[in-house]
Formats: sequence, C-alpha cells, structure tokens
Amino acid sequence: MNNYGSGLNGDGRNNSVGLAYGHEGVDETGLTTETGSAADIRQNKGEEQLAERRVLFMGMPRSGKTSILSVIFENMLAYDTLGMLPTLQRTMYTMMVTGIAVYDFPGIDEYSETQYNSQSPEVYEGEYTSLVYVIDSQGDIQSSLTTLLSIVRMAQSVNFDLPINIFINKVDGLSDELKQDIQQDIQQRVMKNMNYEGLNSAYVQFFLTTIYDETIREALSRVVRRLVPKYNTLETILNSFCSKSSLDKVFLFDIGTKVYFATDSSPTDLTMYMFSCQTINAMEDISVLCAEYVQAGDEEGIMQKTVVGMEGNTRIFIYQVNSCLSLLCVGSSQSSRQDSLLEFNGSKIAKAIRQILPC
Amino acid sequence: MGRSGAGKTSMRSLIFSNYTANDTRRLGATIDVEHSTVQFMGDLNLNIWDCGGQHKYLDNYLNEQKENIFGNVEVLIYVFDLETAHREGEYSLYDECLVNLATYSKDAKVYCLVHKMDKIPDQESKDNMVEMYRRALAKRSDLFKPEVFGTSIWDNTLYHAWSQIVHRLVPNMAVIERHLRNFQRLTEAAEVVLFERATFLVVCQMAADPNVQLNKYMSVSQAIKYYRNSCIQVQSPFQSLEIRNKSFSLFIEPFTKSTYILVVTVDREIEPAVTKANITTAREHFNRLTY
Repeated sequence: MNNYGSGLNGDGRNNSVGLAYGHEGVDETGLTTETGSAADIRQNKGEEQLAERRVLFMGMPRSGKTSILSVIFENMLAYDTLGMLPTLQRTMYTMMVTGIAVYDFPGIDEYSETQYNSQSPEVYEGEYTSLVYVIDSQGDIQSSLTTLLSIVRMAQSVNFDLPINIFINKVDGLSDELKQDIQQDIQQRVMKNMNYEGLNSAYVQFFLTTIYDETIREALSRVVRRLVPKYNTLETILNSFCSKSSLDKVFLFDIGTKVYFATDSSPTDLTMYMFSCQTINAMEDISVLCAEYVQAGDEEGIMQKTVVGMEGNTRIFIYQVNSCLSLLCVGSSQSSRQDSLLEFNGSKIAKAIRQILPC
Repeated sequence: MGRSGAGKTSMRSLIFSNYTANDTRRLGATIDVEHSTVQFMGDLNLNIWDCGGQHKYLDNYLNEQKENIFGNVEVLIYVFDLETAHREGEYSLYDECLVNLATYSKDAKVYCLVHKMDKIPDQESKDNMVEMYRRALAKRSDLFKPEVFGTSIWDNTLYHAWSQIVHRLVPNMAVIERHLRNFQRLTEAAEVVLFERATFLVVCQMAADPNVQLNKYMSVSQAIKYYRNSCIQVQSPFQSLEIRNKSFSLFIEPFTKSTYILVVTVDREIEPAVTKANITTAREHFNRLTY
C-alpha cells in the first residue's frame, strides 16, 4: 500500500511499487480515473502501461497537486479541497479523445526522496511527456526548489528535452505586485541553479496559479497544448476559421474539464478565457432545464449549438463537436445572415476536427 | 422585519443587488431603517424598508415610530431566524408587529420567511420545521393570513419565496398570465416563462406542476444571474441566448422593457427563426399590456 515501505526493502533498484497499483473506473464525468483502494489492489509490477502522452504532477506534499486535479477533473469545488488527504500512490486522470493522461504523484519531501529516487526513471521518457512541478507560493520555497532540482537532474538524464512547467500555486489573496515578485524570485533561482549544474533550461515555463479561479485551467491548457496530437493542423484550421468568419477568438474546449486543447494563434487573454469558461458553465446549468426533453438514446448525437448575444453585437457561439469537445467562438456580427454563415462554417470545422481527433 | 442577525439585509442584497451568497458575509448590521426603491416590472416601484434588528431599534419602531413604520404598508415580510435561542420571544415580537400593522394598515399582506434553512440537513425535518412555524403562526394572527416559506441564501428556496411574493404583487398578473397562455398555445411551445429583468425572479410561468418546474426555473435564473455578473466583468452585458440541439430549442430573449422571456420548443418541425419571429411580434403586444 505504501510507497515509503518499498524504500525500506533495502534494494532500491528493483521496484516501481508506487507505479503498479490501482484499478480503473469510469466516473460520471466520463473521465477515466484510477483510484486505488486497499481492497482490490491489482499488482502488475512492471507491466503497467504508461500513457504515451502524459503530464506528470509532482511537488512537495501539501503544495496542492491533488486539489488542482480534483478541481479540474472531478468538478470539485475549490472550497471543498481544504481537508484533502495526502496522496499515497500515483493516480491517473485521462482526457478523452486526445488520450492525454495526467498523473498525480505523492508529495516528495526530504523523507520520501530516497524512496522516490528508487522509482524507475522511465516515466520521464518519451517525446510527449511534460512535467508539472507545483510550488506552494506561501510555503517553504527553498526546499521545494531543492527537490525540484533533484527531480530535474534525474529526469534530464533520461529525457534531456523534457518540458518543465512550474506552477506557483496558491497565489490567491496576494497582491499583483507580490505575485510578480515571487515569480521573479523563483524564476531567477531556478534558472541560476539549473545553469550552474548544466541542466537544460530551454523548456522551463512559469505559471501563477490558484484553484479559486480559472488560472489553473489556463495553465494546464498551455501545458497540454504541446501534447495534443496534430496540434499544428488544429491551429491552422482554427486560424483559417477565425479569419474567414471574422471572429476574434476560437477555443477548442474539452467539455468535462474546460481545458482547451487548441486555439487560434492570436494572443490569449486570460479574462477572455475565464469568461469563456463561465459561459460554458452557465450554458450547462441552463440546458439542464431541458434534460427531460432529451429522448433516450439521443444523447450521443445531440450536437448542441448555443448562441449568446451581448449588447454591442458581440456574440459567443458554442458548437458541440462530439461528446467531449466543444468549439467556442467569440466574434461580433452585424446581421443575422452572418450568423447562419458562421453556423455553416462551424459545422464544417466541427467535421474536420472530428476527423483529426476521432472519438 | 425580524431580529438582529436573522438575514434580512443578506436576502435583500442577494435578490436586488446581485450579491452572491458568499458576498453577504461582508454585510454589517443595518442601522435604523434602510430605505431602498426598486423598479420592478417597469412601473411598479417597490419601496423596501430594511429595518435594523437590534433591540434598541425594534423598541423604537414599536413605540415612538409606529405610525411612520407601519403606516401604508403593502407587504410585511417577517424573517425568523431558525437558530434563535428563545423562540417565544420571537413570537411575541411578531405579535406586537402584527398588532401595530392591524392598526395602521389593515390590508397588508404578511409573509413569514423561516430563514437559514441550510442549517437543517435533511428534507424531512426541514418540512417539519416549516410546518411547525406555520401552525404556531396561524394560531397567532387572526386578522392576517401569513404565508410561511422556509428559505436559505445557499439554495434557490429564497428565490422561490420571493417569486411567489412578487407574483402576487404585480397588479395585472391575471391578464398577463392569460395572454401568455395564449402565446404558448399559438407558438406550440413546451414551456414559457416570464422573468423580471433586473432581478431575474420568475414572474409568471405556464407549467402544469408549478412546484417541480419552479425549482428548475429558479436554478436557471440563478445561473443567468451569475452569468450576467461575469458578463459585466468583461464589459459586454448579457442580452440573449439560444441553445439548440436535436431534441429541443431554448430561447432566452429580452421581452418587454421589464421582462425576459424563456421559450422552449420540442417539436423539430418548428424552425428556430419562427419562434424568434413570434417572440418579436408578441413583444409589442405585451409592451402594451404591462404599461
């Protein structure tokens, strides 16, 4: 059951016990989550297949890894994550369609570090792997950075080009100025240490996050973006959609998590993204009203279209691409004729996306 | 009216000032009487007097100022705090209020809200509690027939109660209701609901089973209220909405000057454009009705 125990076996090389547990279950959001319960532990040491495209969530204990993932993948309310228990074994969350898996690792501190090092380094392998390191911005930053360095040292011995994303978490309640200071401080220290040790710092990115707003989803979206299959094709399609239909912004959303897989290449404004998330949330709430009218067996092919009109001609269109993807477009249209044109274009784009990312 | 800390100002801010339930923590005690005027359904001006609940003020209302406070009252909303230490004291205060009300404005309507229902976990004991208040209050007031609602700011019961209160306040409600029913028949819509524009309270609805449906509409109006708040943050106020898929089409459109309308059609034969055109045509007609 525990990771700590395996370190005591004396033989640090032999096992990846921490990796091998768990059973898969599909929860109601349609996401596959791996939850380990002591009763039905299945031991398949060394046989477990890691997903090809994966995001690894690591960090000190209590830095907020599991909270982040519960909020994103299980729709937990941020206020409910206060009493979270420590994660004892690796947990997996998957995103449908793209096949990206997010792994939640147990917290790593100086006590579990030796054990951690015994873990097989193969988790870092592969072109489509990305590391997320969560730092508690109000905790012990110094030791957190020490741990980060030892992780990076090990990871880069296997995969020199591993992208490293640093989430500076729990920045809610800090002033903007303080946030910038903290980020700058961490950034400088990380870069200095990595250069000193000759590590590759070309793929290091920093994000200020908090689970109390959408910054966390935005950050994860940007991490995931590099792992999305055929991302360039998607971006090209969305770009041409944008210019042909005179839209301001297009997002391709994963409905369950509200993480976006792709967007056009214009700069992404955080407030715009937050607003898009809120729009999708609100529309979900409202369409619940009509749940009784959805005929049984019809759920698959619903292909919902939503149009939200704002004052001053701004419009938001949401097209459902398939059961887990949605296309959200923001633009301003002058006439209703343009609306129907956009609808036509939208359905073509949705079809193209269905071909690129088959369900 | 109600004792200190019962939640009067919280509920007022929630319904009329777009507060969220979390925001109400910031509110302090109301000093003396806060008057506010709300334009409701366009021409209906609601003067809301939020009376501070501390002893000092209450004594003041019941003695020196009673004519001022209880004169010309259309509706008295009395808020009971569920968690009160001495319920008898509450009742006697309530009695005093009613005696005064009987003297100065006989025709007023009385609504009692048993507030903070979220403190009770299960539905059954909630119902029991409301029933208990209902019986206790029915015994007390012979002149007025108070309506009792269990409410909480954390779910949509508060909207429910206020919707009912408002429904009875609007003067030509019967006419509006009849015309709306006509509209529903002509457009073959499955559901038609009229929302008040500023507060998004349900004004009028056409469902067969009011209670089940009302709960659903409450969640819709709450969702829209939250959404409208976030729209304001990006400086593009919310205007209209349509959701279409294979099984239904849903429209939320600004209707008359003071209302929004929600129309749901389930027949696939009905083109969305037709429904929209119908709404536009009906708008003119209803504009004449509400003015």
